[in-house]
Amino acid sequence: MQFVEPETVEEVVAALAADPTSRCLAGGATLVAMMNADLVEPGGLVSLRRVPQLATLTVEVDGTAVIGAMARHAAVARFDGFRGAQRIVRAAAARIGHPAVRNMGTIGGSICHADPSADYPTAITAAAATIDIAGPSGSRQLAAADFFVDWFETALEPGELVTAVRLPADLPLAGVHYEKFTRADGDFATVSVAAVVSITDGLCEAVRVAVGGAAERPVRDPEAEAALVGAPLSPAGLAALGEALQGRCNPIDDVRASAAYRLALVPRLVARAVTAAARDAEQQEGQNS
Amino acid sequence: MSETGRMAIELQVNGSRQPALAAPHETLLTVLRERLGLTGTKRGCNQGVCGACTVLIDGEPMRACLSLALACTGRAIETVEGLGDGLRLSPVQQALVDKGATQCGFCTPGMAIALTALLRRDPAPDAEDVREAISGHLCRCSGYVKIIEAGLAASRRNEAP
Repeated sequence: MQFVEPETVEEVVAALAADPTSRCLAGGATLVAMMNADLVEPGGLVSLRRVPQLATLTVEVDGTAVIGAMARHAAVARFDGFRGAQRIVRAAAARIGHPAVRNMGTIGGSICHADPSADYPTAITAAAATIDIAGPSGSRQLAAADFFVDWFETALEPGELVTAVRLPADLPLAGVHYEKFTRADGDFATVSVAAVVSITDGLCEAVRVAVGGAAERPVRDPEAEAALVGAPLSPAGLAALGEALQGRCNPIDDVRASAAYRLALVPRLVARAVTAAARDAEQQEGQNS
Repeated sequence: MSETGRMAIELQVNGSRQPALAAPHETLLTVLRERLGLTGTKRGCNQGVCGACTVLIDGEPMRACLSLALACTGRAIETVEGLGDGLRLSPVQQALVDKGATQCGFCTPGMAIALTALLRRDPAPDAEDVREAISGHLCRCSGYVKIIEAGLAASRRNEAP
């Protein structure tokens, strides 16, 4: 097995092209665990730790937050540059695993693994993130909604890597809440809900809600979200959104819960998450007025 | 590269440079235990779940079982063997002894590392901070109460004014 440590994205792409059986090594929190369990045996490893471009965590002039693929969960969880809706990603980062795992794991590694019960895929979907991708045919961008394809499957082509996750600044005063249901602290979510809510003069201005752990990829329902816009949030409106999202879920039975239990959780957690996000939005407004 | 696929690397462990051989798929845990004889760091689940293999890498707690040895070159590694000075235990280790916080002892090195990292960052944590710091460390004897007491005993909060 070859082990290389390139220093630029171009060199990473070249290394991946040189050996199609090789895999990127980010924080190792998942890949090394899978190697230890003999679930995967890469032909080679391309370590990303010496690529400075991938480790950045910055805010651009237009307010877009750019999280480098190698940003550790702990760094994202304490980054104070996020505004409004972007803070949903910080809230989710703080709930991933335990301290030692948050010191190792990276956002690029997490979203490329694409475990629908993981925290980041759900959160960046609610943040309406865009994924920066580099590969043999150049760079491209994909919306989070198009990036997650199926259970543990992304739209990445062979030889491509994620370089960054971009969070738009479109809802700078939005409230956020990440509602994660687990039986054991630090576990993957049984079901999780990431909610972003913008409220102006008591009326709902925008809502984005993503459900994780209940389908092959994060679930949103933009039509049901739009139905809440322009009116005050109401229990009936939240119930309708929860029911619509539940209808789009496709959960499995596993060690954490039965599919039926997961389905039952969805509307309850959606109502909780959106209500808490609305409360957070009021606090945001209070701080900015 | 040798015939076994192992490469010669140098790790910085407990303040000293340690040459070692490691294959690309081998973890820091394997190299610490099997090449460097540092068996204080325990192999529990080998999946990053149990916390027994936790070491400090550049001052932060990380799982040695999830860290490939080749990706640890140039980084400062601290194991439980480096906490005391060879004659005396560190304050955290002494507190674990004094509070009877070791039962079977298997989780103790990881707990000691986690508490050491916490107290370096926050010399006066409260019980909730200690619980958060040792979350992700499984004590199969379920002796968490005394481990938390030890963390608090080792903190500045507990020093006489």
